[in-house]
Amino acid sequence: MRNKQTAAAGEEENEINLTPMLDVVFIMLIFFIVTATFIKEPGVDVDRPDALTAEQQFDAAILIAISGNDEIWIDRKQMDSRSVRDAIERLHLENPRGGIVIQADENSTHEQLVVVMEAAKQVGVSNVAIASTND
Amino acid sequence: MRKHLPQLGGDEEENEINLTPMLDVVFIMLIFFIVTASFVKEIGLDVNRPDAPTTEVKPEDANILVTIDANDDVFINRRLIDPRAVRANIERLHAENPRGSVVIQASKRSTNKMLVTIMDASRQAGVYSISIADNAR
Repeated sequence: MRNKQTAAAGEEENEINLTPMLDVVFIMLIFFIVTATFIKEPGVDVDRPDALTAEQQFDAAILIAISGNDEIWIDRKQMDSRSVRDAIERLHLENPRGGIVIQADENSTHEQLVVVMEAAKQVGVSNVAIASTND
Repeated sequence: MRKHLPQLGGDEEENEINLTPMLDVVFIMLIFFIVTASFVKEIGLDVNRPDAPTTEVKPEDANILVTIDANDDVFINRRLIDPRAVRANIERLHAENPRGSVVIQASKRSTNKMLVTIMDASRQAGVYSISIADNAR
């Protein structure tokens, strides 16, 4: 009897205390939940123009692509120039702090860029940037 | 007293919650969020960042007006400028009036490549306040 009891006590002492690990895991979990911004990719490949002074855009939340043949793509869907505004409004509501990055193809025309920028201005997004490469 | 103490100790041990299933769930959530975390790295040029969002810059008030026509030719002060010389021209005009901003007036049919080239040249010349004039009329 006595031997059994001491064996049980030894087993209990050998169990690892999980609480600190649980704390760490929870903190990581909260970090990833908070930083998760589900960015919707436009879904087309664009040739970005070159610019030496390009800067990293940290607050990019809405990506809008203008392809080489002047099609506007948002969230993997091609958009009519009249429905761009509604699409931006919807995405802006999901993440009101984020800015817009327009991925304009080198060969796209200025007309489509103005359409997108006008829509952004009407929705009230102030930080608009044009994507580029810098190499 | 002596009788009760061992009983209490036994109760406490049985009342401890088993954390393992919760740990499993938390780990799965953690892995899900790590995998779905998309750190989008987009580099680009800001349009009209230094001004307030609603500021309307009229071409008439601008100090440096750059015009791009439908054939992607660049004009400053009605003179045709080579795209490589835009930077030097903006630098000179900026030195004449350091508070002026650059306004780009682009034709509908001009390409965005030329627009970004001009914006880049302007930033290289030290003018970071760039507006794009809306001449869709």
